[in-house]
Amino acid sequence: MRRMFENAEIPVEGLPSAETVAWQPMDPKLMRRRLAEAGIALSIVTAGIAGLQVLLGIALVDENVPINLGFLWLVPLAVGIAVVGWPLVCVPKMAYAVRERDILYRSGVFWHTVTAVPYNRIQHVEKSTTPLDRRFQLANLKLFTAGGAGGDLTIRGLPVRTAEKLRAYILDRTGTAVEQA
Amino acid sequence: MYFFGRFLRFVSRNATQSLAPLAALLFATGGDLSGRLALVGTVALGIALAVSILAYLFFRYRITDDSILVREGVFRKRQLDIKFDRIQAINTRQNVVYRWFGVVTVTFDTAGSAQEEGSLPAIPTALADSLRKKTRRGGGRPAETSEETEANTPPPILALTNVDMVRIGLSDNRAFILLAILGPFSEQIEAAIGEYIESRGIAEGLELTLVQGMTFGVAIVAVVLATLALASIAGAFLRFHRFRLEVDDDVMRSSAGLFTRHEQSIRFAKVQTLEARQGLLLQWFRRFRLRAKQASSVQPGKEKHFAVPLCTAAQTDGIGREIFGDEFRDIDLAPTSAAFRPIHHRYLRARILIGGVLPALFTSSMCAALGIPGGVVFLAWIPLNALGVWIAWRKFGYIAAADGMVLRRGLIGYRVGAFLYRKVQRIGITQTISQRRRGLATLRFYLASGTLKLPYVDHRLATEIRDYVLYRVESGNLAWH
Repeated sequence: MRRMFENAEIPVEGLPSAETVAWQPMDPKLMRRRLAEAGIALSIVTAGIAGLQVLLGIALVDENVPINLGFLWLVPLAVGIAVVGWPLVCVPKMAYAVRERDILYRSGVFWHTVTAVPYNRIQHVEKSTTPLDRRFQLANLKLFTAGGAGGDLTIRGLPVRTAEKLRAYILDRTGTAVEQA
Repeated sequence: MYFFGRFLRFVSRNATQSLAPLAALLFATGGDLSGRLALVGTVALGIALAVSILAYLFFRYRITDDSILVREGVFRKRQLDIKFDRIQAINTRQNVVYRWFGVVTVTFDTAGSAQEEGSLPAIPTALADSLRKKTRRGGGRPAETSEETEANTPPPILALTNVDMVRIGLSDNRAFILLAILGPFSEQIEAAIGEYIESRGIAEGLELTLVQGMTFGVAIVAVVLATLALASIAGAFLRFHRFRLEVDDDVMRSSAGLFTRHEQSIRFAKVQTLEARQGLLLQWFRRFRLRAKQASSVQPGKEKHFAVPLCTAAQTDGIGREIFGDEFRDIDLAPTSAAFRPIHHRYLRARILIGGVLPALFTSSMCAALGIPGGVVFLAWIPLNALGVWIAWRKFGYIAAADGMVLRRGLIGYRVGAFLYRKVQRIGITQTISQRRRGLATLRFYLASGTLKLPYVDHRLATEIRDYVLYRVESGNLAWH
């Protein structure tokens, strides 16, 4: 028997809400990776200042110039507080939620942002890793939608296996979305 | 002609800097300058002709059932395979010489490409028409003959008159942008005019009173403005003379141009956002400028769009209904519509504080600390900024309809953008610390043609809109492109 056309009314209140999803926090390894990155940056700044002091000391050894460069150590101190402190507050704010038809990503310390990307709008998915990511067995997943001049959605610091599974799942969902022109 | 022009454009864009040392060498060495210029000119012309002829000889194209194949390049070969169903729009250009020979240059826009994907220079008009028809069907079927095309030409839904050309020219602010660019050089220009007058002895024995001097100055400004306005009107005649807008089934097509006829077309399904703009002069003329934006991955401001240079409010709504069809039947692009809902007044406080009070206080206090006199002047920025923010806040508005949204914004004029929910690619909600305290949020709609922002709305409303848009995107079976 031929099925009748149906157009049931959907109450707006009854729509699935992205506010009530169970957010998946980022892997604890992401915090360690970010802190390691901060440690490397801090070491480079410290080494630079130490080198500068040594060079100036050598250059001015015969000169009777009273130059005190001790204040320069305030730079690594300030940088240290910023780069070490930032992951501690930033990473706990990051979370994602995989739903049947879209993926949600939450981030931001001062500016809280929740972005939703429907699978049927994803053009392609890119998985990338840096040497530091690989050291911590993490990967970044970038979801490309059309007209991405404003920036696409990137989920940083997913465990490699999760990133791969997520990529396969999203591609599968993208492939099953059949639309008519 | 086409390849010669393309080579000249390529040289002017990419090789101008490389030619500078050659020019310097030409002028620095002694001897007969005109003879050397003639020699260099002849050689350059010879190279340009040789390159153009080679490019022409190596250019080949083939039209198959489902695609256009292009092969070009002398040393670096380029092969293009443009599928008919991927083509967003087919645009044509026809200059006076092409018109004599009955040929046009066709360019193809494909989704997300930064520039036109490819072009077929100087092909017969009938072939261009058949390509257009194939594109609409996604290829496959044979094209109609040109006689049938002419017989089926629909009446225009919009045709611009000569008075409209004057309106377009006057409301085009590019001439005034030129004036703004020249502004910083006003002293140099003034000095040059002074020197010219002195050298010619024009002002010898001439004594001007203050009033005469001021009148003279005002006259010069008036002459400059009138010249710019005339140039702008001439530009409008060149580009938009005999502008006609036609709707043929699911395609909108425009043709215009005094010497070179430009023909643009766009399929309704490809339109991502429709934007109506109205500057001060257009407000006075009670007219709008329309842009139907397509998918684009280039930087904001450089997007590809289908433009209607001038139309009335009724024509604007009519074009909107043609483009969005039954999906957005109640579209309302009039900026003064009562249906627009305002955004929250907290927008004012945030913008006045961040863009006005803080920078003004910082600059003034820095001046005071450094002992620079007159730093208090910067405090005048606070009321100026506040006025601008207040105007912008008053103009922000939105209409959340069942199938789409209309967003209004502006400072001097209006900019009203409409889109269908199902065309949204991503959607985001952002809350600042202050917005979180007040239960407010900023909603961002990421479309393939760019991003649209709805700031300072109730957070609950923002989440409801977000969830509804996601529902529309995820439950529909119509493609966004």
